[in-house]
Amino acid sequence: MDSLITNIQRFSVHDGPGIRTTVFLKGCPIHCPWCSNPENINYYEETFCLNGTCGIYGKYYEPNNLVEELIKDEAYWINGGGVTFSGGEALTHMTYLLKVFKKLKQENIHIAVETSLFVSKESVKKAIKFVDYFIVDIKILSNDKCKSILGGDIEWYKSNIDFIYNNVCHENIVFRIPCSAEYTLENTNRKLIIGMLSKYPDIQIEIFNLHRLGQSKYDSLGIEYDFVVTDKEELELQKFYKQLTDQGFKVKINKV
Amino acid sequence: MLNMVREKKGKNEQKLHELKQSGELYTWKEQFKKEKMPEYYTISKTKPLYEVFDYICRNINISIEKENRFVYFLDYVFLLDEVRGYQFGNITPDYVSFLKYGLGGLKSEVEKSDYAKEYNATIESIGILIDRIVRCLEKEPNGKNEKKMCWFKRMRCDSVVHFEEAIQRVLFVNQIIWQTDHRLIGLGAVDSYLASYYEHDIEDGYLSREEAKEILRDFFIELHNYYWLKSNMLMGDTGQIIVIGKTGFNGEYLCNDLTIMIMQIIKELSFPDPKVLLRVNKKTPNEVLELAIDCIASGVGSPLLSNDEVVVQRLIDFGIDVDDAYEYTVSACWEPLIGGKSVSLNNMTTFNFMRPLENLFKRDNLLKIQNFEDLIKRYEFYLEKNLNAVKRIIDSGKFQKDTVMSVFIEGCKEKDASQGGAKYFDAGITTVALGNVIDSLINIKKYVFEEQKYTLLDVKQKLVFNFYGDDELLNELKKEGSKYGLDEEEPIALSKRIVSMVSKYTENYESPNGGRLKFGLSAPVYVDAAVGSMASFDGRKAGEPYKVHISNETASSYTQVLNFASAMDYRGNRFNGNVVDIMVNPDFIKDNQEKFMYLLIGAINQGFFQMQANVVSSDILIDAKEHPDKHTGLIVRVWGFSAYFIDLPDSYKTVLINRALMSEGKMAV
Repeated sequence: MDSLITNIQRFSVHDGPGIRTTVFLKGCPIHCPWCSNPENINYYEETFCLNGTCGIYGKYYEPNNLVEELIKDEAYWINGGGVTFSGGEALTHMTYLLKVFKKLKQENIHIAVETSLFVSKESVKKAIKFVDYFIVDIKILSNDKCKSILGGDIEWYKSNIDFIYNNVCHENIVFRIPCSAEYTLENTNRKLIIGMLSKYPDIQIEIFNLHRLGQSKYDSLGIEYDFVVTDKEELELQKFYKQLTDQGFKVKINKV
Repeated sequence: MLNMVREKKGKNEQKLHELKQSGELYTWKEQFKKEKMPEYYTISKTKPLYEVFDYICRNINISIEKENRFVYFLDYVFLLDEVRGYQFGNITPDYVSFLKYGLGGLKSEVEKSDYAKEYNATIESIGILIDRIVRCLEKEPNGKNEKKMCWFKRMRCDSVVHFEEAIQRVLFVNQIIWQTDHRLIGLGAVDSYLASYYEHDIEDGYLSREEAKEILRDFFIELHNYYWLKSNMLMGDTGQIIVIGKTGFNGEYLCNDLTIMIMQIIKELSFPDPKVLLRVNKKTPNEVLELAIDCIASGVGSPLLSNDEVVVQRLIDFGIDVDDAYEYTVSACWEPLIGGKSVSLNNMTTFNFMRPLENLFKRDNLLKIQNFEDLIKRYEFYLEKNLNAVKRIIDSGKFQKDTVMSVFIEGCKEKDASQGGAKYFDAGITTVALGNVIDSLINIKKYVFEEQKYTLLDVKQKLVFNFYGDDELLNELKKEGSKYGLDEEEPIALSKRIVSMVSKYTENYESPNGGRLKFGLSAPVYVDAAVGSMASFDGRKAGEPYKVHISNETASSYTQVLNFASAMDYRGNRFNGNVVDIMVNPDFIKDNQEKFMYLLIGAINQGFFQMQANVVSSDILIDAKEHPDKHTGLIVRVWGFSAYFIDLPDSYKTVLINRALMSEGKMAV
């Protein structure tokens, strides 16, 4: 069974080294309150309507057809460029992705995934054979809040991070922290994040401010978007940036 | 230094402002005519150019700015329409021979022919002008003037020795050509032909790199000084193009200090003119590309990029000598031109791809068209008719003798440039609206032949009535989005097919002087050519501008458009400028310069022909339209030139604002 894809974004400049084509897979095991891709939460096709235009989120691509679409930009993948799989949670689509990965690797194409790592160890093990570059999200780390807010099992997450850290060349891992004063940068969580980061001191970190660019997609699906962006976000981000750099982490701010 | 630049810029702007205030921006020539020079007015009507030119050389007002490094002036009074009609323009004179041999070396040896007499008389007149300038300099002896005096004295018979002197000579040739009302005068491959003088001076310790850069900077300032006067159809349309970088015979990339300095200078000066075209190939060093992107990101509108990987071979295929093809420069916009050797007029007229489609809907028996293939065949029928009209325009062009241009075009010592003296004299046309035609045809295919929602007669009715009362259909068509410029099978195949039709009906044409016809897929007239046009089925209402060059603002990535352009066929006579035009948000390019470099490297490998970028944000453009005073330095790329945004007519401002909004995803198509 092929997986649903909602978007293929070419000339992506924020999703890994070089110029990338990012594939958004539909379906995610967790549900972040700030999620800016609500169309990628459910694993099934969804109808949308916005300003009189209606359509369907999600399209099946046979692996061959997907690869054909992806390699259109092969000429631009210089200095590390390639394909990035995002979502949703890309690693919950491993059955499908393995077929795609094999084809891409036949063409020697650089593969990255952006993952929250709330997936089975089996999936990570399968992925690791093909994936060259891991963009790993760091979100909410306390046991109960992770469960209640994201709906994820923190133990899975932590053991997956360890596994990747121990099995992937460290320069091919980047941590990505979506920053929100209310959630990820909340005091306790901030401390937990820094505590966890100190276990992986040589990993590059990207931080960025959350936004509400997903609003129109929420509207199109007829769901509420409860996430609030406050006016202290930028300040908190800068504080966090300083805190991390002061402690010697390799960190940069992504402009989204 | 910079203060001086600003002051000069200020002077120009003030002059411009005065002209605008008095409502005489485009009629100042008339004014001069009425007030001054009645004698000149009569002489030019009856005399051949060489006599008019002699009069000019003896009488123009010589103005020398004491403080300036160079002598460079135009006497407005003599820039009268009477000199026009000699028609050569939009070309690049041969600066090199004058640098190498001086005036004496340009003389024709065939003294006895009538032509040679006129030709040599022209040279003598230039000599008279040189003498007058020398006498003027003698009157006020000072350090700077002595140097200038020496340069001018040496112009008669001597070769150039130094870099600074070489630039003075280039400026003098350039000044003569402008002074005789030739328009859109290019500067050619400056970094190539000045290289030996520069290197010599550096090796001898005569100049430091910094001094050389100062000299180059002053060169640019002199050229920019008459910006408002040199502008052709729109403010900024001066055609002062400088071509830098090139490919060697073994495919290597050739550039030097001057290549780098020129890009640094255009960024530092932040003038829209003179403008720079950078030739690139697969071996162009990353530092050069980085600098080019840095320049583009600064918003100065330059350099335009020309991909030697495609262009050089296309020129050779067309029959241009290999040596010349490798040294190509371009006409005012981008049409490849063999500078100094060619009087090809590369922008003689424009073929409008929409005309045949309009003809078809207005004149054809639509009931007879059964399927899409029939439609394309009927389109081709009208396309041929329209191309016949283009050929008639070229046929009717008669060139008058132009000894002034002939002196500065290689090969014209025995025969005037207008009589075939130059090595190359082909005719070039530009084309417009291909994108609108492709999108219209794709929509017609879907709505009429596949879904059968409308008949061709219905479509005709909608178009003739300009979608009146049919906003629903108009919106539906707009939502289809533009397919032209996407790397998808249908738009690529259809575009190639239609372009090959033009080739088929033009490649065997021979102009009255034996030249051939060439065309390209970009044209300056996307606003003007659409005035009075019927609506089209791509959702464009009557009179609205056509699409700009090879572009697609609804594409989700630049790579789609670049791949499309790379998939086009530029062989045969299809190489007369094919420009991809992209809109880039200033912050986006500044934050991602390295990735833009990869984009560029990839695109060079893919095989685009030429490319330019407009680095603007819709917010700033909209604000500049409302508050021009706040944005006097804002530069945008119009067709093939850069201009101050506030100088543009509203129609062009609107096109740019809409394109920026679309590319930022802020406006539906």
